[in-house]
Amino acid sequence: MSFKHLKKVFQLTAVASLVSLLAACSGGTSGGPAAAQADAAANSGSGSSVSPEGRVVLDYWTWWGSETRRPIIEKLVDDFNKSQDKIFVKHSYYPYSDIFTKELAAVSAGNPPDIMMNDINTVQQRASKNQAMNLSKYVERDKVQDRFFPELWNTVLYNGDPYALPFNTDTRMMFYNKDDFKEAGLDPDKFPDTWDELEQAAQKLDKKHGNTYTRIGYSPQFNSDWNLLQLNFDGGRNFFDESGKPVVNAPAKAEAMQYILDNAKRLGQKNIDAFKADFGSQQANPFLSGRVSIWTDVTNFYTQIRDYGDGINFGVAPLPETKEGAGHWSVGGGFVIEIPYGAKHPDEAWEFLKYMTDVEAQTYWAEKNFDNVANKEASNSSELMSNPVYKASVENLAHTKLTPNPLNAPDYMNLINPQRDAIMLGQTSIQDGLNKAQADVEKLVSGK
Amino acid sequence: MAHPQHAAARRGRSLASREALQGFVFVSPWILGFLLFTAGPMLFSLYASFTNYDITSQMAWIGFKNYDTMLNHDPLFWKSLRNTLYFVAISVPLQTVAGMLLAVILNRRMLGIRLFRTVFYLPSVLSGVGVYVLWMMLLSPSAGLVNLALSWLGIDGPAWLTDPAWTKNAIILMKLWGAGSMMLLYLASLQGVPNKLYEAAELDGAGRLRKFWHVTLPMITPVIFFEIVTGFIGGFQIFQEGYVMGYGNDPGAPMNSLLFYNLHMFLKAFKVFDMGYAMAMAWFLFLIVLLLTLINLTLSRFWVHYEGGEQ
Repeated sequence: MSFKHLKKVFQLTAVASLVSLLAACSGGTSGGPAAAQADAAANSGSGSSVSPEGRVVLDYWTWWGSETRRPIIEKLVDDFNKSQDKIFVKHSYYPYSDIFTKELAAVSAGNPPDIMMNDINTVQQRASKNQAMNLSKYVERDKVQDRFFPELWNTVLYNGDPYALPFNTDTRMMFYNKDDFKEAGLDPDKFPDTWDELEQAAQKLDKKHGNTYTRIGYSPQFNSDWNLLQLNFDGGRNFFDESGKPVVNAPAKAEAMQYILDNAKRLGQKNIDAFKADFGSQQANPFLSGRVSIWTDVTNFYTQIRDYGDGINFGVAPLPETKEGAGHWSVGGGFVIEIPYGAKHPDEAWEFLKYMTDVEAQTYWAEKNFDNVANKEASNSSELMSNPVYKASVENLAHTKLTPNPLNAPDYMNLINPQRDAIMLGQTSIQDGLNKAQADVEKLVSGK
Repeated sequence: MAHPQHAAARRGRSLASREALQGFVFVSPWILGFLLFTAGPMLFSLYASFTNYDITSQMAWIGFKNYDTMLNHDPLFWKSLRNTLYFVAISVPLQTVAGMLLAVILNRRMLGIRLFRTVFYLPSVLSGVGVYVLWMMLLSPSAGLVNLALSWLGIDGPAWLTDPAWTKNAIILMKLWGAGSMMLLYLASLQGVPNKLYEAAELDGAGRLRKFWHVTLPMITPVIFFEIVTGFIGGFQIFQEGYVMGYGNDPGAPMNSLLFYNLHMFLKAFKVFDMGYAMAMAWFLFLIVLLLTLINLTLSRFWVHYEGGEQ
């Protein structure tokens, strides 16, 4: 075979592999694992001035590949690598849509990454199915448990043993436009305390041009919905009671739905849908563009206001309560850092877990991302607390509930959501819909 | 190189068996690949469908329990099957007709026809989430282009992706946009229809419609048949649309109207790790598609015309 011929074969092979790469992209739900792999390969150990030679190399998977987040996570990894000479952590990025299935496949193949970021609400599920490693011997040795908010710590326990360390969390709050409040004759420094007061204030904030709304004060359907309100109305209780029994059709949950329907009746569901359809992100966010006066979001929405809000005069407040003293309950989520089951270097990986949840790394993460972090001390650092929004978010954690998936009914929301939709669409009454959802979930839990 | 014993053995074999052996050696990479990467996993999944397999922690034989749950205790199974059947039943014939009409229109000599063909084929090259997001904007009830265009005709368009009565139709409509890939095959087959047949028909006084009906259509029936069979198979695999376009980012929402069979299977497998159950669903789908394809093949004898005469 002549050299020229050989070159041609190489070119063809290169084109063929590129085509298959593209095909993989379009076939997947988004970026595609193939693309991510190439990306990860190109970036392995990137930004690091230290070399992995002679050290234990750990593979650390996250989905933090955005321009904002990637440098932050890689700075933390780099600092860790510089700090010691036995372990070298390599950060691999995979898109959010692929990373969990990919991890699952890797765990079942017995070749998992060493460290993994994962969802806080499903730790118990993974623990019960041998997908994450039991960390109790490390936790007992190093006594790290007191670092964390107890509510978050509880989510990582399965049969009393920890299977992950909490990393970050969030909480939903009310962002409101103070100028709109002034204009409507409302006190800009006082956000409505109860849901009824909120509805009254919202009416004053609405603005109409002819028959169409140019501004809607508030709708519980904007970036929020019954799944959030039902917990707030029900004293912080989600769809299961203390004993694990489903309580989908509890009276408070029906009241929350009634509140949403009343609001929709007043504004017109069509108007709400029209607004929702136009929502975008960044500058096109309806709160930032002045089309909505009160907006429910997690607290790092603050970074969007800061970056795209054009000096908007805003306030932040907890969700209202049903009546005085009922509680401003909110919902939070978040992520944990864990060692997948079957990882080859758990001792070394644990060192990294400890480092990532320690005060320094957590403070850095909180400052840069404006995320609520799991470490209490970092969360309460004076520098962060000097920002009123951050301070409010940390205070809000006190009445924020996490909603881990119950082990015996991990996909219960698939049964509740369709009934919620049916009620919202007026195809069934509130009580009938919730009773049906209750029956469906009970059936799922009983396993029949 | 040749060892004396081997040489002796070779001499002992007939030419035919040597050729057969060489043949098997040449196809062995494919056979090995098939056994390892297709037949193996298929048999494994069949076995797993009779277990409580959850990928990482357990795999115990539970007999027909998965199949029993599927058929008797899972309302979402039937819902997802109905959704998928509805989509296939309407979408496949519609796409077949649309692709054919498009090909007939684009099968002429005129200025810029190449450009038109390219433009109509282009959507088939694009795919994935980007396209779905684009369509979510187009189908937006108030601000979307689709309803805007309808309003010019005096029609008050539906809330496509919000109203469970319309969601599947919205997907079917969107899928028509990609009829260009079918168009391409029809175009090729149209160009393969011998001109002499048209000339003969003209001599017999056949008009345009008659020529299409009696010459063109019979001549392209093999392609129509191919499109219908692959269309059915592809249609039953619909998944992404329900996953991405579900109202409010809930897969399958509103009211599970977009919960397609494969989406339900995916959620069972990868969200709650009920892999054994998902495997049972996969095999059931396989049976459905197999049955439909067999029916299609049987029926094809009555209407598909092969140029070489009866096969």
